[in-house]
Amino acid sequence: MATRPRMIRSHRDAMALVRTPTRAVWLGILLVFAFAAPLWMSNGLLFLLLAGLAYIVGAIGLNLVSGYAGQLSLGHAFFLAVGAYTAAVISGPSTQTTFGLGINEILVWLPAAGITAGLAGFLVGPIATRLRGLYLAIVTLGLVLVGDHVLRTWTGLTGGVGFGRQAPDPTLLGLDLSTTGPILGVDVARSALLYWFSLVVVILLTILALNLVRSRTGRAFQAVRDRDVAAEIMGIDLTRTKLIAFTVSSAYAGIAGAMLTMRLETIEATQFNLLLSFLFIAMILIGGIASIPGSIAGALVIAILPDIAGPLGSVLTPVFETLTFWRADAGFPLDEFQLEQLLYGALLIAFVLLEPRGLIGLWVRVRNYWKAFPFSY
Amino acid sequence: MTATAPAPTIDLPPTAAPVLRLRAHATDPPSPVALREKHLGIWQDITWQEYWDHAELVAHGLLALGIEVGDRVAVHSENRFEWVATDFGAQAIRAACVGLYPTNPAPEVGYMLADAGARVLVAEDQEQVDKVLQLDRAELPDLEVIVYLEERGVRDYDDDRLLKWVDFLDRGRAHRESHPHAVDERLAAITDDDLALLIYTSGTTGPPKGAMITIGNINFAIAATTSPTGFFQPPVGPGDMLLSYLPLCHVYERLLTCWQGASQGATVHFAESIDTVTRDLTEVQPTIFATVPRILEKMHAGVSVRMASASRLKRANWKAWTSVARRIGTTKVANDGNHTAGTRVLEAVGDVFLFRALKERLGLQHCRAAISGAAPIAPELLEFFMGIGVPISEAYGQTENCAVATANPLDDIVLGTVGMPLEGIELRLDDQTGEILVRHPAVFPGYWNRPDATAETIDADGWLHTGDVGEWVGDHLKIVDRIKDIIITAGGKNISPSEIENSLKTSPFVKEAIVIGDRRKFISALVGIDDEVVGNWAQARKIPYTTYRDLSERPEVVELVAGEVAATNDKFARVEQVKEFRLLPKLLDHDDGEVTATQKVKRSAIAEIFADLIEDMYGGGRPPADPPTTAAPDREGGR
Repeated sequence: MATRPRMIRSHRDAMALVRTPTRAVWLGILLVFAFAAPLWMSNGLLFLLLAGLAYIVGAIGLNLVSGYAGQLSLGHAFFLAVGAYTAAVISGPSTQTTFGLGINEILVWLPAAGITAGLAGFLVGPIATRLRGLYLAIVTLGLVLVGDHVLRTWTGLTGGVGFGRQAPDPTLLGLDLSTTGPILGVDVARSALLYWFSLVVVILLTILALNLVRSRTGRAFQAVRDRDVAAEIMGIDLTRTKLIAFTVSSAYAGIAGAMLTMRLETIEATQFNLLLSFLFIAMILIGGIASIPGSIAGALVIAILPDIAGPLGSVLTPVFETLTFWRADAGFPLDEFQLEQLLYGALLIAFVLLEPRGLIGLWVRVRNYWKAFPFSY
Repeated sequence: MTATAPAPTIDLPPTAAPVLRLRAHATDPPSPVALREKHLGIWQDITWQEYWDHAELVAHGLLALGIEVGDRVAVHSENRFEWVATDFGAQAIRAACVGLYPTNPAPEVGYMLADAGARVLVAEDQEQVDKVLQLDRAELPDLEVIVYLEERGVRDYDDDRLLKWVDFLDRGRAHRESHPHAVDERLAAITDDDLALLIYTSGTTGPPKGAMITIGNINFAIAATTSPTGFFQPPVGPGDMLLSYLPLCHVYERLLTCWQGASQGATVHFAESIDTVTRDLTEVQPTIFATVPRILEKMHAGVSVRMASASRLKRANWKAWTSVARRIGTTKVANDGNHTAGTRVLEAVGDVFLFRALKERLGLQHCRAAISGAAPIAPELLEFFMGIGVPISEAYGQTENCAVATANPLDDIVLGTVGMPLEGIELRLDDQTGEILVRHPAVFPGYWNRPDATAETIDADGWLHTGDVGEWVGDHLKIVDRIKDIIITAGGKNISPSEIENSLKTSPFVKEAIVIGDRRKFISALVGIDDEVVGNWAQARKIPYTTYRDLSERPEVVELVAGEVAATNDKFARVEQVKEFRLLPKLLDHDDGEVTATQKVKRSAIAEIFADLIEDMYGGGRPPADPPTTAAPDREGGR
């Protein structure tokens, strides 16, 4: 029946994640490409991609609660912090300044990071059942501020501002993932192992999220987003649905937090601030609200933005240098970081104005153009 | 005009009744799926075993109700599994099946049920059950049981004749257990003379008449259509996909669904309804597409409308490749429907840019043979579909000959003709009137309870008088028109109205056209606009309107149609040109008696209902009162 793609013969077919052979082929090519990346990529780029993989998990989490369930959350950074420090505490040893359990097995601390953050989300969730829209945004904003304050003062946990503590140590069944060397006779680059492990985690969590959103619960998320009163009349338990959304989203954030820090040497208490929350909002806005592939695309764009900002900066510098009137008081020339921030802002404004459905919206437009061919609708 | 077409040359292979073929398919399935039906958006498979099992249960159920050989069982439903199961179930016990159009209003339902003397009625839902229940019980003395399929709304009805479909099947199941061989005995006794169907012809004048169709008729129809020179080459078989969407009570769809699909082992898909055909087509992408001009007109109009609102680039692409399609179409037409090297190359390139995608959107991507029948079609339409690579041609038949008479072989298509007589079919033109006469084993034995009408239709030598005037174009038959429809103007010219009407209807804006001019000074027309297309057109031009009538009366719309009429006039000789026209103030409707159940215009009714419009065109003068000069038997006819 491959030649009759529109004929749906079972609910299973209709809801299948990979509906057509063409899609299966493209997905296969994409996966091969993703797994082969460390074999030819530079270490620098791979390091950015590692962050990208962590961003993907976080972005999917945020998209579940904000994109699918419609609960605008600015508190994502808080849950990332919970996950990151849970991982660090479990994996790191107890030292004079910080406490830790010293279990560096990743299969222990990574799920634990998710569970702890999920619990935190479960505790915060009830607030969301009473608030919505801007009020919820403000409350979750408060969460980040509280979290920031706690992290700055609780030196036993964080090692204190400016010092930090050792990042979680990724060891998979006794194999240290952060080392370099021959694996099964093949020399692999540093962080390649970490990359592959992260990739597997991302794939598993992506499948989980895709399944969640096409389930009864996922449909309930979207019903609540579209109109909570109507959803309630349809028999959807608002409290339960919002609670699930917050819990799952926070668990994703926790895992993302642990993944984001495990590639580093140390974690610093001040990095889990409001800016990080906004970074994730930027990801789902640029990628596409209420879209798992969109979350992935948005996360990857944000991740490699620093790499784009560098070359762009060197191209723009001569241009800026001709603008002598600017030199007097502005911080000039713009450094990479400033340019990166400018790019975030520009991208956000551009997408919200021109393509509110994000990169996925762009893709859907291109696809529909050909899908409707030779008509326009 | 030449005389007789070649007489039967080859002996057709021995055949078995469709129901026996179905039973054979159940034990030795020709394909995994016999039928597909759409429930809640999902196409559900029905296997050959389930198909036969249901037919057998219906047969036992009917036996349990005491149905005897030759009794009539009526079905009043849209096309669905239960419809064909009832048809085959009745056939299995040598009873006859009578189909009613879902659109038949209550009085017609009453007339047909009483005329046929149906003892059992299978009614689809509340709508159809209501039509029977509102009739006086005394009018239907023979009707004993009304089996209903959809419970909604009927559950609380209090009438001792009502029986739920599942309960009916349960009775069949019980009967099967107590009399396991009852159906087999009846099956074994089936003869060619068994009455299999009563098909009520919609009759453009007078009450409908029931054409009797026997098992022998059907068997010959199957043999003729599946012979090497039959309707579709190669013949329909396992692996073919059919869409069943025309009314099953009409001989045309029955031929497809039951005598091609079920008998030949193809997979039949039931459309959700006649309104969703275009969508069902894109989902099913049938390999065999049997259709009527109205559907093709609608598809063509739909394409034009959607193209008009497409983006600039797509419009340019469309413009470029439709002109190529026209070229391919004309070349193919000139070449008997065959490809030349040039058209092959053009089509291959055109496939990439337009044709393939367009066919996919129309649902004709896998179509290997399409047939237009039941009414005359404008050649331009066929040319369009041929041009984009749909192998399409016209065929000709009518209820009285089981829809088999002539067809265009795909490699020898002559546009504007209905093709050549099928194998084993004798066909000639009457020397005086030019009326088409056919004689073959699928010619029906007569009308139910109407020996008078039968005598008018079948002469002593067994020739069926079709009521259509034909002429030969080489060895292909061209239908001029229905005898009774041919217009003789006051100047004495013979004019075929359907040719002019179809030319008008190729315009996407025109839905109905009725050409008038019998014993008049000039030709005029009543034109019904397509509310959807013209509505869109008006919206795009910011022309406000409220109702259909209001839209029809807008001067801009009248002007638009005038342009279309002028375009048609360019194609015809002076005497055939439409000098005046009026727009119909309403959509023609079956309930108002303006069209038949198959949407054929009832000319006499139209002439009466819109007499003022017609007289207005002729300056208010009354028409002469004497009766028409050519009287033809009132019968379902056409191509």
